[in-house]
Amino acid sequence: MYLIGNITIYLGIVIAAYALIANILGIRKHSKKWIESARGAVLSLIFVSLLASFLLLYFLGTSQFQFEYVASYTSLNLPMVYKLTAFWAGNAGSLLLWTVLLCLYTGILVFSKEKRNPMMPYVSSILLLNILFFFTVMALDGNPFAMTETIPADGKGLNPMLQHPGMILHPVTLYLGYVGLAVPFAFAIGALILRRMDAEWIKLTRRWTITAWLFLTLGNIIGGWWAYLELGWGGYWAWDPVENASFLPWLTVSAFLHSVMIQERKGMLKTWNISLIILSYILTLFGTFLVRSGVLTSVHAFGSGPLGTYFLVFMAFMMLFSIYIVMTRYQLIKKESIPIDSYFSKESSFLLNNLILVAGAFAVFWGSMYPLISEAVTGTKINVGAPYFDSVMAPILLCLILLMAVCPLIAWQKATVERFIKNAIWPLAAGIVSAITLIILGTKGILAVIGLSSTIFMFATHVQEFIQGTRARMRATKENIFRAIYKLIRKNQRRYGGYIVHIGIALIAVGVIASHAYSEEVLKTVNLGESFTIGDYELTFKGLTETTDKGNGIVVADIGTTYRGKDVGTVQPEKVFYESWPEPSTEVAIKTNWKEDLYLVLSSWENREKITLQVKVNPFVSWIWAGGIIMIIGTAVALVGGKTSTVGIWKALRSGR
Amino acid sequence: MKMRKIVFLASLIILVIVPSVATAFTENSQEFRNVIEQLDMQGHADHDYSTCTIQHVYFEEVLEMLNGGMSEKEILQSYVDEYGQAALRIPATDKSGWIAWGMPFAGLTAGIAVVGAWLKKVKGKAENDTLIHEVKWESDTEREIAEKIFEEERRKHF
Repeated sequence: MYLIGNITIYLGIVIAAYALIANILGIRKHSKKWIESARGAVLSLIFVSLLASFLLLYFLGTSQFQFEYVASYTSLNLPMVYKLTAFWAGNAGSLLLWTVLLCLYTGILVFSKEKRNPMMPYVSSILLLNILFFFTVMALDGNPFAMTETIPADGKGLNPMLQHPGMILHPVTLYLGYVGLAVPFAFAIGALILRRMDAEWIKLTRRWTITAWLFLTLGNIIGGWWAYLELGWGGYWAWDPVENASFLPWLTVSAFLHSVMIQERKGMLKTWNISLIILSYILTLFGTFLVRSGVLTSVHAFGSGPLGTYFLVFMAFMMLFSIYIVMTRYQLIKKESIPIDSYFSKESSFLLNNLILVAGAFAVFWGSMYPLISEAVTGTKINVGAPYFDSVMAPILLCLILLMAVCPLIAWQKATVERFIKNAIWPLAAGIVSAITLIILGTKGILAVIGLSSTIFMFATHVQEFIQGTRARMRATKENIFRAIYKLIRKNQRRYGGYIVHIGIALIAVGVIASHAYSEEVLKTVNLGESFTIGDYELTFKGLTETTDKGNGIVVADIGTTYRGKDVGTVQPEKVFYESWPEPSTEVAIKTNWKEDLYLVLSSWENREKITLQVKVNPFVSWIWAGGIIMIIGTAVALVGGKTSTVGIWKALRSGR
Repeated sequence: MKMRKIVFLASLIILVIVPSVATAFTENSQEFRNVIEQLDMQGHADHDYSTCTIQHVYFEEVLEMLNGGMSEKEILQSYVDEYGQAALRIPATDKSGWIAWGMPFAGLTAGIAVVGAWLKKVKGKAENDTLIHEVKWESDTEREIAEKIFEEERRKHF
């Protein structure tokens, strides 16, 4: 078994190198035989990587502690589901996960209906270069099949914080997003090498890019939810460097998804779109470098080691290679673009949107790297934590929300101010009325009020778009309202899918603003039977019990809860003392209603009759998760039905515009 | 008269001292939160308070200092004096932190300038390349007919 495991890794290197060479020979000699051979090699890579993955899962599931990886991340008493998810708990396993996903994506591509596309050997070569790198890194310093010197009786176990359903979904979804971005990158570079400057690569990769973005969104939302439930500090986003690293490509791909629309319609921004997709791909490598290098302190880091250096070298190589390709084709890219008609147009607003998203990405990157930069330049490390990012990103994200509020109202090509005002009047009025209402209701914090009312403005704009579209359909086709809504979305899934995503973002924005500005917190020591209040809740300490489950000691506090005088049951914050882990773990108790979360942590206890509780009331946090689900639905709508067409460009070019 | 003055002064002193003793700072005081939120606590700021011993040490220290009469600013400065700027979660807001705070906005400004210049360039090109016809209706009837045609086309599209 040990031999088979190791063979899969080394065989992976050999096959990936062969496939790469076969592709290059096929391209140079115009030989279908070599290209077919490379395709066959990709199939072998899928087999080899899947075999390695199944082997690792088998070793994890059967607790084969002769393997270093199994002994480091699992133990005998670990539930089976977490034994299996330990696959991606460590460095070596996560590298294998990345590799197997990359092999699967490459296989899907080279055996797709586009397999005869002249771009495909180039695309396949770029992906194979990535696969080769990952197999090599595994062989050098991240072998999941490395053996222990002596076989331990039991493994070290999995960090209790990772024993959560989030562990099943968060890493996989993020990796699906990260790896997915390699596909549009490979197509962009392939198109450039072939000097095909049209939007074909965008058309071919639209679904891949949206899928990658969907998984990045899902990964980040699940990560936030997991942190909120498990980490016990009451937040969902800590602006940790590795969290930021997953947010960076999300921002740049969001910019790309908007700017490609301009390329599709007007043939503009070709260099920009290529740069954005290259940047997004490089940022995925950057994130991987951060997790594995240990250069920055992070809760997600796998620790330091030479792996970081390998990623840095590969990242630099891919970056220089991409820049070289872009520079040598720059004159070609510049040609054939259609000029912009008006400053006041959807094209311009999309440009502004791109600017803000990229500025946001730059701010996050700068803040994440500043501790390193400051240490390198001045010798003193300056920390950049959540308060910095909150301050810097708040105005940038506010601008983005305002832009989302006005952008759907601006016409393509040339908008008129009168028409814009006519369309904007109701959503704007909704925003202003909400601001006045919030102030009258005594809502504190002018910035939060501005943020919330801007979000309502944005939300109202999108609702209006749906209402206007539905009304127009009902007038024109005499359909009933439900059919009209269905057909409206069905006829233009890309547009209305995007609007649904924006509505999801509006909900998230409300949750983020409210939970930041209006959260209440109290640290309270209470005796048995004693009550205290926080917000609309009254909490009573009813007792402290100790139990044992699978060798783990659990201390549970029973807290009677009333909400506005009405009994809403008992909540039970816990502290778990694991048999195989040195530190205790917090199990948060959360009581959720539509407008706020009661968040309880059992902080400490003196005896069975005196405990200290950390209690928070976080307003509208559940809206963040609801918004995330709506974003996913919207993305799925856009993904399933959207069509990309370059007809508009050619029509416009032919007519000389 | 003298006695009344003594009583008045004594009452004033009691009024000033007693409340200050009674309002000892706790972990729930806003002043305490203001200080704690700015401390990096050796990278433990975002840890779970219930399990983080480092946070406990900082909480106790800050409470002691607040109750000892130090202001928020003095407490933060005492940590900066001891550990340098790394004691805080944010770069300094004075001259030494300008680059950290200013760079994102400098980047945004540079971006606006580049996009502005590029827009001007492509817009200028558009004006040179195309003739934009302003539609002028000769009569309201003509405009109405055109609108009806547009409406008919729209219906076909649906």
